[in-house]
Amino acid sequence: MKPKVAFFEFTSCEGCQLTVLDTLQRHPELLEVIEIVQFREAMSERGEDYQIAFIEGSCTRPSDEAKIREIREQAQIVVALGACAHLGGINAIRNRMPLEQTREYVYGDKKDWFETYPARPLSAVIEVDAVIPGCPIDRKEFATAVTHLLQGRKPAIPDYPLCIDCKLTENVCMFLRGQTCLGPVTRAGCEAICPAQGQGCEGCRGLIPSPNMHSIKQALREHGMTEDQIAAKLSLFLTYQTMQLEGVTPA
Amino acid sequence: MTTLLRETLDHSSIYMPTPARIVAVEQFTELEKWFHLELPSGFTIAHQPGQFVEVSVLGIGEAPISICSSPARSNGAFELCVRRVGKLTEALHRLEPGSMIGVRGPFGHGFPIDRFQGKDIVFVAGGLGLAPLRSLITEVLDERGKYGRVALLYGARTPKDFLFPDDLKSWAERGDIECHVTVDRPTDGWDGNVGVITTLLPKIDFPARNTIATVVGPPVMYKFVLQDLLAKGVAEGNIWLSFERQMKCGVGKCGHCQMHHIYTCQTGPVLSYAEVKDLEEALS
Amino acid sequence: MRILPKHLLQAWVERLRVDHRVVAPRESHGQYIFDEITSADELVLDYHSSVLPPKKYFLPPREDLFTFNAKTMEMSPVIEEIQPTVIMALHTCDLHAIQLLDRIQGTGHVDQHYQARRRKTTLVSIECMEPCMAQAFCKSLGTLSVPEQFDVHLTDLGDRYAVDVGSDAGEALIRGMGFFWKPSDADYDRFNEVMAGKWPNFDYRLDCDVTDLPNLLGASHDSALWDEIGERCLSCGQCTKVCPTCYCFDVVDEIDLKLEKGKRVRVWDSCLLEKFAVVAGGHDFRNSRANRLRHRFMRKGKYQLEAYGLLGCVGCGRCALSCPAHITPIATLNTLNERRQASPGESA
Repeated sequence: MKPKVAFFEFTSCEGCQLTVLDTLQRHPELLEVIEIVQFREAMSERGEDYQIAFIEGSCTRPSDEAKIREIREQAQIVVALGACAHLGGINAIRNRMPLEQTREYVYGDKKDWFETYPARPLSAVIEVDAVIPGCPIDRKEFATAVTHLLQGRKPAIPDYPLCIDCKLTENVCMFLRGQTCLGPVTRAGCEAICPAQGQGCEGCRGLIPSPNMHSIKQALREHGMTEDQIAAKLSLFLTYQTMQLEGVTPA
Repeated sequence: MTTLLRETLDHSSIYMPTPARIVAVEQFTELEKWFHLELPSGFTIAHQPGQFVEVSVLGIGEAPISICSSPARSNGAFELCVRRVGKLTEALHRLEPGSMIGVRGPFGHGFPIDRFQGKDIVFVAGGLGLAPLRSLITEVLDERGKYGRVALLYGARTPKDFLFPDDLKSWAERGDIECHVTVDRPTDGWDGNVGVITTLLPKIDFPARNTIATVVGPPVMYKFVLQDLLAKGVAEGNIWLSFERQMKCGVGKCGHCQMHHIYTCQTGPVLSYAEVKDLEEALS
Repeated sequence: MRILPKHLLQAWVERLRVDHRVVAPRESHGQYIFDEITSADELVLDYHSSVLPPKKYFLPPREDLFTFNAKTMEMSPVIEEIQPTVIMALHTCDLHAIQLLDRIQGTGHVDQHYQARRRKTTLVSIECMEPCMAQAFCKSLGTLSVPEQFDVHLTDLGDRYAVDVGSDAGEALIRGMGFFWKPSDADYDRFNEVMAGKWPNFDYRLDCDVTDLPNLLGASHDSALWDEIGERCLSCGQCTKVCPTCYCFDVVDEIDLKLEKGKRVRVWDSCLLEKFAVVAGGHDFRNSRANRLRHRFMRKGKYQLEAYGLLGCVGCGRCALSCPAHITPIATLNTLNERRQASPGESA
């Protein structure tokens, strides 16, 4: 019996689901081992008897919570798909600013028309069984996650930093190239594609379990970044996680 | 001709397992199962009590597991007692009789049983530590005449967590091995000892000079048991401990099990206190 | 000794390329990477160091150990029969490291995967005339000259190389090639002059003698220094990846979506990483960055010597160059030494 799989999205760009579609095209054999019953990006049917739910997007308004809980009730396994679901993602940048100010900035005089609250990862709302990190997710990691689910285990993702991936592919360290990088505190698993293309890591896969934030900030400082620049660098994908580490609640 | 399992390492690759069939599975506790395994015909395992094998579920991975059966009774078959604690053991627990797994080994050094002859032996087992010790206990009891007095001290978390209940019963009945068990937390109906394993040590009054102690259990147990054994006067070289470490390869190559200059998988897992007492990492 | 005129170097390498894969340093973003050359004119002998040491040719970062069919239990070892390979321009520190790796992989259970690659590889090393980078401390560790085992060693005499052969495999790269001359008395004089002239170019950077390292480290177990540098350590593991003597690995299974065909793969691991010494039940035998750093230093300066008779550090300086937190062997060992001298008898 093929497990029934459903895809859902909350606040996101849906890029991770596009990556899933791309993965399905590259690995059509995926459809021989799973049955997709709901996937708005790809089909119009909406089956509700799924066992595995992949959820893209962060939770950014109170009314999302009920739907997320409903999915949790139905699914045996809930997988957070991508940086927004995993970390709150880019949507959480606003969490450090007063919410009213953000609403005004974004919606102007129509701000009261839109419901919103500080962005949060799925794990802040429900228990999440597994995560496929990244912005967007990695195709290979998605296929591996499905394999693990078929084996009856929780998809495993690396818990070591990106520097490992970078060195395994023998990239020259971005710091040695005079650039900055969040690799030493960011979860590996992407084969260090950004450094391989000459771009320092932005942290889209989230922090490793015990990041040395003090030390990474010092390294960034030594490579010419101001405190503001460091804060900005750590805000793109890591606002929710760094605020948690600091014990700061959204404004 | 019989091929020893470890000889299969010499040709092809030291990392390639030999298939073994699960012939029977018994659930001991919620977390622990007892697996009876059979090697292909013509293979035998020839292990020392205390040695381990690397067990593979192909597609999941590999993990080190102590052999719990007696070498003398092996004859191509052996047994493992497996606690479900990680991805490999979870997969193993899902397997039914008839399933195939992979095994490599046996690896390292077990208990130097030849040096135990004529001595009194105290087996100190905490939890799953009874598994490797059962291999030794069975071996000792099979040749009971070679040894002095023999005692087993065994601690489990609750009365529901005792492993090898049939063995415990038969050992208790045979009269030539003193058996003392204790639990950390009693449940209704338990009228035996309650408390950590060291509370059992005073029950043994062997002359320390002639005593061998074999200790296997969780890391936290070692410090306290050692303290009491040394205080009793058991010689440092007569206290044998089995060290648990992450062992990815079993052949002294992957580096995970290193403590000081020792690869636990090769020099250990069984080492005497005399060998490790100066190794700060061993018992920290 | 033989003499190779510099203008014949490329011809020799081109000749080697006929029946060998020739590997040499290649520039990349200001650093160097060992890579196959496709023409002798790509050859670079003058380079400071490489990102990854040449160990990658014997112990690849990711390596298939065997393939399997999980349904039928068929298994088949993957012992890669590589093309005969020549690695050019190795620094002597890297040769010392390979000597240690050879010993480790050949001790006890011999690793057939390593052996298959190592057997097919011949090493051409060069004598270092100046420190390759500020982080190197080869002179202090005694790795500034060729170890006992080497294949072909080149010493730059200006317009020509002195060529020493240390093995049959090395001899096979030279014999009958026609590019090599017999040395004259003037060549020997020049060789002696060059060799005598190079030593003052290097400093002893370690404040204690190399033979004292095991003692120094042995007494440092409870040193506060480990906590101090542990505070800075990112546990990023780069120091171990770039280390020419690190060989620890993890093993992972990969399997297809039908859960049938797969392979077991080994991947370089690192003792600096958080999960390295955690057992299945969750107990962590090295549960802080300080403990893990200490273990790495002990391994380099003490344990490997005790286990294999060779020091685990060759002074190449790669770890010091790559550490984003500037944790370096020289600063660490010299600080331990300083504190030992300040309070003898106590833990540094």
